[in-house]
Amino acid sequence: MSATAKRGIAIGLAVLLIVGIVFAIFGGRLFGASKSAGGGPLTVVTGVIGSEKAPFFADAGVKKIFASKGYDVEVTTAGSRQIATSVNLKGVDFVFPSSAPAAQKIKLETGASTTFAPFYSPMAIATFKPIVQLLSAAGIANQDATGTWHLDIAKYLQAVAAGTRWNQLPGAANLYNSSRSILISSTDIRQSNSAAMYLAIASYVANNDSVVDSQADEDALIDQAGSLFLEQGFSASSSEEPFDDYLSQGIGSKPMVMIYEAQFLGEEMSAQKSAITPDMVLMYPDPTVFSKHTVVPLTKAGTAIGQLLVDDPKLAKLEAIYGFRPANASVFKDALTEHKLAVPPLPVNVIDPPSYETLESMIEQISTRYDSPGASATPTPGTTTDPSPSPTPPQ
Amino acid sequence: MMHRRRIVVAAAAFAALAALLTGCVQSSSSSTTTSGGGLADGSTVLRVLAGSEVKDMLPILAQAEKAIGVKVELDYIGTLDGTEEVASGGAKGKYDATWFPNNRYLSLLPGASSAIGTSVKIMSSPVVFGLRQSVARKLGWDTKPPTWAELSAAASAGDFTYGMTNPAASNSGFSALVSVATALSGTGTSLTDADITTVTPQMATFFSGQKLTAGSSGFLADKFSADPTSVDGIINYESVLKGLKIKGEPISIITPTDGVVTSDYPLTLLNSASAAKKPLFTKLTNWLRTTKIQKEIATQTHRRPGVPGIYTGNEFPKTIAFETPFPNTLDVANTLIAVYLDAARPPAQTLFVLDTSGSMEGSRLESLQQALKNLAGADTSTTGSFAEFANRERVTLLPFNTKPGSPTTFDVPQDNKDAVLAQIRDYTDQLMADGNTDIYSTLKKAYGIALQQQTERPGTIVSIVLMTDGENNQGISESDFEKYFTSLGADGKAIPTYVVLFGDANVDELTKLATATGGTTFDALNGDLASAFQAIRGYQ
Repeated sequence: MSATAKRGIAIGLAVLLIVGIVFAIFGGRLFGASKSAGGGPLTVVTGVIGSEKAPFFADAGVKKIFASKGYDVEVTTAGSRQIATSVNLKGVDFVFPSSAPAAQKIKLETGASTTFAPFYSPMAIATFKPIVQLLSAAGIANQDATGTWHLDIAKYLQAVAAGTRWNQLPGAANLYNSSRSILISSTDIRQSNSAAMYLAIASYVANNDSVVDSQADEDALIDQAGSLFLEQGFSASSSEEPFDDYLSQGIGSKPMVMIYEAQFLGEEMSAQKSAITPDMVLMYPDPTVFSKHTVVPLTKAGTAIGQLLVDDPKLAKLEAIYGFRPANASVFKDALTEHKLAVPPLPVNVIDPPSYETLESMIEQISTRYDSPGASATPTPGTTTDPSPSPTPPQ
Repeated sequence: MMHRRRIVVAAAAFAALAALLTGCVQSSSSSTTTSGGGLADGSTVLRVLAGSEVKDMLPILAQAEKAIGVKVELDYIGTLDGTEEVASGGAKGKYDATWFPNNRYLSLLPGASSAIGTSVKIMSSPVVFGLRQSVARKLGWDTKPPTWAELSAAASAGDFTYGMTNPAASNSGFSALVSVATALSGTGTSLTDADITTVTPQMATFFSGQKLTAGSSGFLADKFSADPTSVDGIINYESVLKGLKIKGEPISIITPTDGVVTSDYPLTLLNSASAAKKPLFTKLTNWLRTTKIQKEIATQTHRRPGVPGIYTGNEFPKTIAFETPFPNTLDVANTLIAVYLDAARPPAQTLFVLDTSGSMEGSRLESLQQALKNLAGADTSTTGSFAEFANRERVTLLPFNTKPGSPTTFDVPQDNKDAVLAQIRDYTDQLMADGNTDIYSTLKKAYGIALQQQTERPGTIVSIVLMTDGENNQGISESDFEKYFTSLGADGKAIPTYVVLFGDANVDELTKLATATGGTTFDALNGDLASAFQAIRGYQ
């Protein structure tokens, strides 16, 4: 079970944003009975955020801290791609996408003067002991001196390109005797940031270890990169779903899932009984990429929230308990130590994601390969159209 | 019987998966269905549009009202039909949440993903084989489970036979179809259109062992339970098979080693639900995921817990069930179903016994003509195309009034069926209403024809449809027919009669008749013959 469900969140995943936002603004303001610490009414601040942060914002402790500062933060969720391209941001105080490229794009479009990056999370792979054993014997995964597992993405891409099946790996008969092709499960590339981050990693490696930044680069690798997503078959639109399946249905359903490190660590530190069992393994893609969760404030109140998320030590501690890595590394370390968990070393082989435009362009190309009209991402009703693209510097 | 089909289906892509439905099939005996009627609302009520599969959750849901003060009102609907309802916006305002075996169909339909909000997976069950233990043992599958290719080889060698629901009508049949096609294609990845073309001959080999079909998982299980010797086993949810009581012999559950499709039963809040319903939804899903309730779900409904780490003892096998990748486009799903119907499944031989007595005069006859023409190509929606007479199917129309009429048989060819479908439509136009109602002599005659056709084309799935709008007042009586039916051999008794109740039909008598032949009834008493005829196609 996901941290989200455990913590009893009722935030929609594929939300009708407009309705949600309108309610948050008007419903919240009209009916907001909450009082600030000083007894005065709380200022309702509305945000549109990536779904993986919904549990954090719904946490009673987080709400309390915001209330003590006079704020009632109401959030609706949307995919980071959606936030950047299609969500109507009128009346919204801040947006909080899961990646720096998306934040840069929103900053340019909205004319926001500043951004806040209170925490980040490396992309990781949730997997199982028999899987790392198999991959390790095949030279595709390896364990470093700290005991941390890494997936060699170059070798992984070779195995996928060769159509290697799990049961073709030495030792599979006793460990994972599946005729399915070796493939990481991700979210739907057309909708979700975690899949886009996976594409950032795969495209970098497929592009001879360099960030994709030209049409020629894209053309050369798009077939290979596209197959990583198309061959999965159906994939969910939010990052929580494949991780949920990993936790509840296990190795037969999801031998490897691309996740944010925070999802796994957050589940381990869950206030309720953790769903992480001893045979589950947190592995890192090598190279990996950091998902920099970035606040783009659109109003003064939004700026205040961004500032609090960066500066408030109590909030930082809660961010860490949800598995995110706050700017201050010791907060993260302390949270894990308090929960009697090993502190995963910060991955060293970390790449930059491509620019927003390049990433979008690759995603668009892959999207066209889902040939059915019904399978294309549906725009949210009442959304603004995407203005002309403007260049964004790489992170 | 529902009418939503008329409202919907604008875009072809949209109609596509929606077409998988026929979940609206309701035998008159399952009168629990009140879909579309609207559920009573209230401040503690959560109105849920649910797959008929979750009916077995009622006792547990009844506890929820006492334990947490949330009253759950359920309307049942076929998964795919329900999907259509949500995608079309028809669920808005009528329901607060949905509970289908899975949300994958929903997610493939445009319009549907923006209609649904938070979803919480409650439990799961893979679609697997249930075989009589002696058969499983003989084939060695009780100790070493087979691959789909091994199942296919055994089926074509005549080593075992099985029943499966129609994938255009039922989620379990579609799940099995995805698993078998993906496994036989041998790519190890998600199925593509090109794979389907390549794998069609192998699919036909596998389906040569299919001797029984049905429009719903529950009906298939009941049918196997009532006559466990008609086939050696059925494909169904693990949960249904575990709960199945078969006379004489236990069932061995066989999970093909190269992949199955699992239903994960996400309880899903609709975005259209009022804000006041969200806390109820959260309360309910949290409660359903408590250890105590998860254990009850496992023991009472035989479904696997949705929460990891729940101890279920030996209720479920420890072996890994590998999950088959599910198609990611509507196109692949549609092609797969079309190929099953037109090329891979055992051909159907269907006899329509049609009341053309005087009382059918006018609008009733017109309805009948339209219903038949819809099956003969007049309904061009994707939904309609799945219900259409299929390639290789033999269709016999036997009208009656004061006496049995003469049968007219149409053989739909292997490839281009347009000409034959046009002939069926022309024939239908010439039907005229007059005279009395000789139901049972005609039905007896139909059995004679059906038996002869069965001999002519072995390996087909033979069934009879009886459509009448009145009471028998001519020819032999119901009890005479019963005697005749009892005298038939196993071959004849295996031919079911599906009865369409229409006009002033004698519901009790005809229900008894349908049940006695292993069929069921389809309610068109509200005048909607077209929907009833379409629903029956799931059973042929």
